[in-house]
Amino acid sequence: MKTIGLLFNGVWSQYTFATAPKYKHLIKLIYIHDFDEASLEGLEALLIPFQSNQKAIAERKDLIYKFLGQGKKVFIEGDSSMDWLDAKWEDRPTNNYWWVENPNNPPISETDFSHPIYQGLSARHSCWHTHGAYTTIPEEAKAIQKEPNGEVISWETNQYGGTLFATTLDPIVEHGVQQITHLAHYVDQLIYWLSGDKVSGQFEVPKENYGIPV
Amino acid sequence: MIQAAVISNGLDGIQNYFVSNEKITYTLLEVGKDFDPDLEGFDLLIAPNGSDHIAMAKLKGKVAQFLDEGKALFCFDGWFTNWIPGNQWIMSNEKKTIDIRYFIKTDAYAIFDGVDVDKLIYNHNISGWWACGYIDASAHADVVLEDTWQRPIIVLDEKTTNGTIILTASGPLGDSGAIPSGNETSFTALSKLYQNMLNLIIKKKNHENNRITI
Repeated sequence: MKTIGLLFNGVWSQYTFATAPKYKHLIKLIYIHDFDEASLEGLEALLIPFQSNQKAIAERKDLIYKFLGQGKKVFIEGDSSMDWLDAKWEDRPTNNYWWVENPNNPPISETDFSHPIYQGLSARHSCWHTHGAYTTIPEEAKAIQKEPNGEVISWETNQYGGTLFATTLDPIVEHGVQQITHLAHYVDQLIYWLSGDKVSGQFEVPKENYGIPV
Repeated sequence: MIQAAVISNGLDGIQNYFVSNEKITYTLLEVGKDFDPDLEGFDLLIAPNGSDHIAMAKLKGKVAQFLDEGKALFCFDGWFTNWIPGNQWIMSNEKKTIDIRYFIKTDAYAIFDGVDVDKLIYNHNISGWWACGYIDASAHADVVLEDTWQRPIIVLDEKTTNGTIILTASGPLGDSGAIPSGNETSFTALSKLYQNMLNLIIKKKNHENNRITI
């Protein structure tokens, strides 16, 4: 049963992730320009991936806060650059090669491994690269991951009713891209936290999913 | 001087990749609900990395007409919908990125002139960083670049339509310094490759304008 919605921007990495047999029974693609209250019926959680159309999301932010008000979970990743969050995101250079050049100095130095997404993950599995940082976070939010300079990468709050988790990591998009091979550890725990469903097995990409009409 | 339309998906920073200059004027066409832009007056349509391929699929007929008028299309993204005439991008994770190498196959217009292919293969000594998946190319198209397994990675197609189609298997290209690479030499190669593609379109347009019909 599909209990997790994914706000979909027509971007291929989001599509590849949500249509992979490993996840597709749990993920409902919600095309951002068709997003309305009915889209959220029956869902327990909402994913807002990196490479989203933040302007289109901002125009529909009331739907997201109403969903949170019903006690649901919302996970936001990447460049949350618009002002629809009570937080300030700032761009920072992305370092894709720290694990080659300086493996003992990951971009994130502090992680709350008691959080359900991070329980049992290694440091490397909990951070591959970041897309900017949060310089302010909501009043009642708690930092989950920080950089060595103290800037916040991931935070969580319950002040809107449900649980809002935001991070400048990009697990959904990168797992769809399939160039970082260890992301299943993070994503599978994220899916379990959002839905209560455990997933396992390989990430397959069925050829018949490509070349589709609309 | 040519006129280019760039499909914008509302992603942060896209304007930095396509900055108008003495060769070309870029106009961003921002996707929204019921996206149906007027392509009249444009010589070149560009679908950059991170495009909305649901919106593009709804423009399939308009793009075909644009090309049949002798215009040009660049797509530097993974088009999982079937909106590009004769050619289809396919996502695949069957091959390991560590084994990916690229080879020039048919480069009739020398778009790789001055471009070091190794810079598209390696970044910080890691291979397979640039493109994703492969192109199921039209039988009439030139495969300019192929990978280790002879899968098309860059395609130039002048036969399927009356226009010119240049495609990468989601390998990002752009007209300015905002290419997502931390490696200056890889950036230089991508920038040169884009300029060579652009120069070909300009040359073809000038040739068409100067042609005498009897």
